Amino acid sequence: MHEAIVIGAGLSGLMGALALAEAGLRPLVLAKGHGATHWASGTIDLWGKDERSPRDALRSIVTARPEHPYALIGVDAVADALARFRAVTEAARYPYVGGMDHSVLLPTAAGALRPVALLPITMAAGDVRAGGEMVIAGFHELRDFYPPLAAANLAAQGIAARGVYLQLPPVPRVRDFGPRTLAQLFDDPAFRKQIGRQLRQQRGSATRIGLPAVLGVRDPLGVVADLQLLSGAQVFEIPTLPPSVPGIRLFNVLRAAIERSGGRLQIGSEVIRAEGVGHILTTLCSEAAAREQQHRVRRVLLATGGIAGGGIRTNDAGLVRETALDLPVRMDVNHAGWFAPRFLDPGGHAIYAAGVAADDRLRPLGVDGWPVYENVAVAGATLAGADTLRERSRTGVAIATGWAAGRMLAAYGCDATRSY
Amino acid sequence: MRTLTTDVLVIGGGATGAGVLRDLALRGIRCALVEKGDLTHGTTGRYHGLLHSGGRYVVKDPQSAEECARENEILRRIMPHCIEDTGGLFVVTPADDESYADRFVAACRRTGVWVEEIAVSAALRREPLLNPRISRAFAVRDGAADSFLATHANTDDARRYGAQVLTYHVVNGLERVGDRIIGAVCEDLRSGEMVRIHCAAIINATGAWAGKIAALAGLQVSVVAGKGTMVAMNHRIVNTVINRCKMPDDGDIIVPIHTVAVLGTTDIYVPDPDVYSITPEEIRLILDEGEHLIPGVRRMRALRAWAGVRPLYREEDATHDRDIPRTYRLLDHEVRDGVAGMVSIVGGKWTTYRLMAEETVDVVAHRLGVTTPCRTAELRIEASAQPAAPLRPAISHGSAARARFAILASPFYMLGHRLAEVEADDSYGDLVCECELVTREQLEAAIESEGTANLDDLRRDTRLGMGPCQGGFCTYRAAAIWHERRSARYGQAAGAAPATRLLTHFLQERWKGLTPTLWGDQLRQARLDELIYLETLAVDRLPEAIPDETIVTGHAAIATEAG
Ligand SMILES: Cc1cc2nc3c(=O)[nH]c(=O)nc-3n(C[C@H](O)[C@H](O)[C@H](O)COP(=O)(O)OP(=O)(O)OC[C@H]3O[C@@H](n4cnc5c(N)ncnc54)[C@H](O)[C@@H]3O)c2cc1C
Ligand SMILES: Cc1cc2nc3c(=O)[nH]c(=O)nc-3n(C[C@H](O)[C@H](O)[C@H](O)COP(=O)(O)OP(=O)(O)OC[C@H]3O[C@@H](n4cnc5c(N)ncnc54)[C@H](O)[C@@H]3O)c2cc1C
Repeated sequence: MHEAIVIGAGLSGLMGALALAEAGLRPLVLAKGHGATHWASGTIDLWGKDERSPRDALRSIVTARPEHPYALIGVDAVADALARFRAVTEAARYPYVGGMDHSVLLPTAAGALRPVALLPITMAAGDVRAGGEMVIAGFHELRDFYPPLAAANLAAQGIAARGVYLQLPPVPRVRDFGPRTLAQLFDDPAFRKQIGRQLRQQRGSATRIGLPAVLGVRDPLGVVADLQLLSGAQVFEIPTLPPSVPGIRLFNVLRAAIERSGGRLQIGSEVIRAEGVGHILTTLCSEAAAREQQHRVRRVLLATGGIAGGGIRTNDAGLVRETALDLPVRMDVNHAGWFAPRFLDPGGHAIYAAGVAADDRLRPLGVDGWPVYENVAVAGATLAGADTLRERSRTGVAIATGWAAGRMLAAYGCDATRSY
Repeated sequence: MRTLTTDVLVIGGGATGAGVLRDLALRGIRCALVEKGDLTHGTTGRYHGLLHSGGRYVVKDPQSAEECARENEILRRIMPHCIEDTGGLFVVTPADDESYADRFVAACRRTGVWVEEIAVSAALRREPLLNPRISRAFAVRDGAADSFLATHANTDDARRYGAQVLTYHVVNGLERVGDRIIGAVCEDLRSGEMVRIHCAAIINATGAWAGKIAALAGLQVSVVAGKGTMVAMNHRIVNTVINRCKMPDDGDIIVPIHTVAVLGTTDIYVPDPDVYSITPEEIRLILDEGEHLIPGVRRMRALRAWAGVRPLYREEDATHDRDIPRTYRLLDHEVRDGVAGMVSIVGGKWTTYRLMAEETVDVVAHRLGVTTPCRTAELRIEASAQPAAPLRPAISHGSAARARFAILASPFYMLGHRLAEVEADDSYGDLVCECELVTREQLEAAIESEGTANLDDLRRDTRLGMGPCQGGFCTYRAAAIWHERRSARYGQAAGAAPATRLLTHFLQERWKGLTPTLWGDQLRQARLDELIYLETLAVDRLPEAIPDETIVTGHAAIATEAG
């Protein structure tokens, strides 16, 4: 019998597993594959739809949109999650900076400005409001990052920036330079010494240098420090096309913290079914390498990540389904209304707001408005109520609801009046 | 206002116009072609991809069948690099009238369409996903044809004989003096400049738009536009063209082409060839019909859908548009309307484009007093046969890149050929588009070629963004590389705005093709792409990211698809 199983290894599942592990429940994380961590930029975005500070925006959501995931858990729970997140990353010597008071504007690989609440310290010098001429530097060999385009777009927005290409020091036996390969190269001090020297030559009058986010997997702070020393400028990372090196680092940090507290990750298992007694889920069925496994369980956190994560699935007949537990999905428009004609429509596409509705303890709700299971909580992109992409709140919602769900599940069963 | 003079002006850069241009040029006639978009911007770029054996038409339209059978052999000979010899099968499924098969075979014999009945077990061995409950199977000489490549092959060859090609030139007026048309007025959509073209004769090869061109000279030509929708599956679920053995109807063919297999089509009357959209019912119908041929196809991954408009010439009033004979019509306006200086060629099929061109040019050449006979059926199109000798630099639209593919990929550039090339060059790291194996070098050659206006043109040249991820990775890369090449040529002054417009335009173009078939895995993929462009890159926050789909070639005249 498992005390707790978390389904999904994205940010929400990992934060939930951390909370359960720290409560001593030795959670098992079952996930079909890695979550969006390995793809996403590695920043934590709370709110970016308008110019309000995250704190102000969240406060007004809590009153104006009661079904929004932020509203379900409240602003204090969000702050609590951020604090824990910062502490964990700090302890792992990969600290995140920032908070709820204002967003930082970071340049993207296209040269757009992206509002971010928490960021790994390796990106901090990119804050465009801090002022200071930039050089954006990259490698011809890396097809996922283009300094001239990024610099030209920054310049068009009044930010002094120049794009340059660096010479890749000769490396044997490598032909395909993806972000991960380059990150491994940066782990080598001799390699970054050569890069650092080139940065010094290319720097000119710039005070800071943006590089693709490939500055090492093991010790990114060491890499940044070395490059700053050698170049004489501040150095910061800019996320590339996937895979995301900062995301992989974050995954490693959270995984290590979970395992240290007694949790365990099993990636490569898909949960396909659940069995229950009344309003209590008792068993999960998972499939790995074509063999079905049964898991008796006391508490379940569903963090399967919406349409992108695979937790919500659609078919040609316009049906929308939750894949692991077959919970009811809230979807307000029919098939014909799924998409806006314009890809970049500021209102987003209605289908992506589909998800599982939940109460203020994040328990999944049935069509009758009552919890389907007492001992299940839902977190992250599986939750209904918002297209968090257009709000730029996806990772914020993921870590806040993941952490809150984990805490509430940990308390489940200790509260005698609530259990059946 | 610029003025050009030529002998014959061809309007329309589809299969027919390109074929006409080559025919004219080979006969030594001075000629030019104008096209309002990129070449193959019309129906030719949106067709099903089938080199007809003729089998489809044997019962219903024997004349078309005969023409297809003859032209099929000719095209295989003159442009082998544009055709993949997939072969075809006609199969009788449980839903089909069993008696049709015997009529089909008899009609094949009458029309000279090669056919051979094969054992059902042999058919199933050849195509394992085929419905095991088929009762009979017939092999025919269907093939898959790349119309982008073929059209460019024709115009490139024509240029070698001195022809001129002006893309992104839209004809807005015809100059008529009394009973004679003496030229046309075009707008260069990229510069906004007006261009007057004087000529002795005009060939109207504008397909579904032929009526609109004729109207510019006060003539009436009724072209019924029949919209056909197709759905591409994300891999080659079959390697042979599969047809239902029955009277031609909706959704009864599957064509494997390049990396995908295409199901189609439908046929729905549309009042205006510039205004149409794809409905969910059509997609459902195509997939439902597909189930008869490949059970389970509905659960496979559909990549995208698109539609084209059939140009069907209407003699008198016909009610049902599958009842209008498919055979093309050549309208000599001097004989028909008493107005000299223009002929219109409408209807037909891609497979018969060469024949249509031959007949058209016969009439025009005769008027001009040229007696040189047609040679297009004998002379192989040589684009693929001259490796190192580059075509004149910058003469043609993407010709450098295309010539390269043609050489490397002869006789047909299937995915396997590109993979072999990438493996030989060890150039994985150079792939800009992993799905379709487009290297940076190929992309740069296409960008450098004259006349490429946007990423969608590059897509037609290189298949960029046409694979399973539908532009998720390559759109950013291609826009950035475009930016670098253009700044190298024109300096930094242009800024990043053009690249941003290109990028958002391409994303929008892909989105249009995706939405009709977006569910299941493909929806998940689209969401990933959206996360990349809106989160990681935040392109919606770029200074020039006006989410407007017609910005780059922002002219209503060339926006062929609605919604
Ligand atoms: C390219 C990209 C860029 C992004 N950039 C940003 C950004 O800049 N800012 C931002 O805020 N957000 C960004 N995101 C979004 C964000 O990272 C995540 O979508 C968000 O954190 C949601 O996390 P999640 O934990 O809910 O789900 P996910 O991270 O999607 O994780 C879902 C997990 O559930 C598993 N799973 C699904 N179904 C099952 C099942 N039946 N059984 C077992 N396991 C299952 C999956 O394998 C996976 O492990 C980006 C995403 C992508 C893909
Ligand atoms: C859905 C569908 C599937 C098909 N499948 C097949 C198949 O599998 N096999 C086959 O053999 N045939 C097929 N066909 C038929 C075949 O595609 C067409 O017959 C053929 O492509 C027509 O070519 P075209 O050059 O005559 O017309 P188009 O390709 O339409 O060319 C006309 C050109 O004229 C241009 N134009 C229009 N107005 C102006 C103007 N004012 N100024 C300048 N230029 C202008 C247009 O932009 C266009 O590019 C299919 C047709 C459809 C609709």
